Amino acid sequence: MHMSDALVSPTVFAVAGAASLALLGTAIRKMQSANSAPHNAREHNERIVPLMGVMGAFVFAAQMINFAIPGTGSSGHIIGGILLAAVLGPWAAFLTLSSVLLLQCLLFADGGFMALGCNILNMAALSCLAAYPFVFRPIMRRNASPGRIFAASLLASVVGLALGAVAVTLETEASGITALPFGRFLLFMLPIHLAIGIGEGAATGAVLCAVQRGKPELLADVRRRHSHSGLHLGKSLGLIALVALLIGGSFSWLASSQPDGLEWSIERTSDASAASPATDAVHRAAATLQKQTAVIPDYDTSLAGLIGCGIILLAAWGGSQLHRAGRRQT
Amino acid sequence: MKNRLQSALLALESLETAARQESPLHRTDARAKLLTTTVFLTTVLSVPLARLSEILLYALFPILTAAMGGMRYTSIFRKSLLVLPFVALIGIFNLFYDRTPAFRLGTLIVTEGWISFLSILLRGLLATQALLILVGSTGIHALCRGMQRLGMPRIFAVQLLFVYRYLHVLLDEACRMAQAREARSYGRRTFPLRVWGPLVSQLLIRTFERAEQIHRAMLARGFDGRIPDCTGSETPWRSQDTVFLATWSTALLLARLCWPVETLTRLLR
Repeated sequence: MHMSDALVSPTVFAVAGAASLALLGTAIRKMQSANSAPHNAREHNERIVPLMGVMGAFVFAAQMINFAIPGTGSSGHIIGGILLAAVLGPWAAFLTLSSVLLLQCLLFADGGFMALGCNILNMAALSCLAAYPFVFRPIMRRNASPGRIFAASLLASVVGLALGAVAVTLETEASGITALPFGRFLLFMLPIHLAIGIGEGAATGAVLCAVQRGKPELLADVRRRHSHSGLHLGKSLGLIALVALLIGGSFSWLASSQPDGLEWSIERTSDASAASPATDAVHRAAATLQKQTAVIPDYDTSLAGLIGCGIILLAAWGGSQLHRAGRRQT
Repeated sequence: MKNRLQSALLALESLETAARQESPLHRTDARAKLLTTTVFLTTVLSVPLARLSEILLYALFPILTAAMGGMRYTSIFRKSLLVLPFVALIGIFNLFYDRTPAFRLGTLIVTEGWISFLSILLRGLLATQALLILVGSTGIHALCRGMQRLGMPRIFAVQLLFVYRYLHVLLDEACRMAQAREARSYGRRTFPLRVWGPLVSQLLIRTFERAEQIHRAMLARGFDGRIPDCTGSETPWRSQDTVFLATWSTALLLARLCWPVETLTRLLR
């Protein structure tokens, strides 16, 4: 699910980065406005700053304890968006999960630095800000039975991950990375993420049930809301579909736009000036001679370029090794 | 046998020791390194996939900066290989969908699909290597401070440092819990969900209690909901930093705009 830098183009990471920066800004503004609000909210904020920090570290640790996926012999780990949101509330959870994603990228090279905007959108925003308030909350009740908790987390995780898979597909397609057509790519991504979503949902449900049994006051966001938050499940699912369509439409518009004008014109001019085959005998003889003597046969400049580049890189690497050896001796 | 928690703890440890080394790259300001890495990533990611040899030229950046930071490029390269599986999973379709021949290598016909596939792998490797060098030569604390000085909101920087600080503590805690369970499970490495749920919820409850303790300790030290600016260790921007940033940015932009490899091969012909 973590997108690598290799899969995004500058346009896509700029757009996704701007979108996730805007969301992060909103989240931060919400936290700060709670800070200057009446005493009650301020006390909440005092408590939530250390809580967010430690919960971020918790998600990190929990992701590294794998659970067995029944019947397959493989194992998986949670992403934790729904779990965080149930404890912290959606905006604080979004901020926490974003910080976790940034640290994962820096510490374990999990997901790219430039692709961070995409990853924040795909994993943090879609689970904490879309799946949680629109799917989890309408199903969840204050003193819910384990079955209801399980159903809520399962459905919310599946919706969150399916949306994430759609987003990954859109971003990769818009970057022009894969030659795979959009529909087939989606058909490849959706089943995988549906399976991951079921695993994630079951794991989240298992943890939430255990917490509800052992320390129900921890699920602060669930307790703070009344059972009827004004949104019904059907209505909110429709809303999600609408948003997904809108995002999909705008991204596919991006994807279909031409490569930039400069490149297009360069390609045209280089095509036009490409040498026409030599006609007279002298030229032809010279050409065959060149073909025979050249170290790199004349197929394409790109192969020659590759070899030349390889030699330069080897030289640079060798130089740096010598440099290191020299430094060690002094 | 090490489990994931233990190897993560070891990775964190080695990162900290790497960041404490001495070298010209370590002495460079975190902001200069961050900006240079951003320029590198933007330029290398904007090269079209068909131009494999141009992308290959960008490998000079990690090789040279690793040498400047006194790191072994081979070990950086080995670490960056971890990124390959996921990238390859997405890129592999290009082999089947794009079969236009590009050039021949003896009797082997190399297709455009192969070139774009290799380009995707190379982009992944180079981007990861640049990031590994950035973090390895700077350390998380200096990097967070650098990002904050470049405009990251304070509340987010505080959050990052908080997570990083308690990461060690919680990984340690989770490690102990996992070890205790592994010792009782006769060689089964993974946890069935029935065991995993209560285990992780136990970790969550302990985490929450720890947060309460931290909160009380912070209140005792005068915490009022805002974290004061952490001053100290604010290194000034020096002329070396300007030189570092300017040299690399110029070189990278030139490489992006002039296609040096293709121009040179065309000239040599």
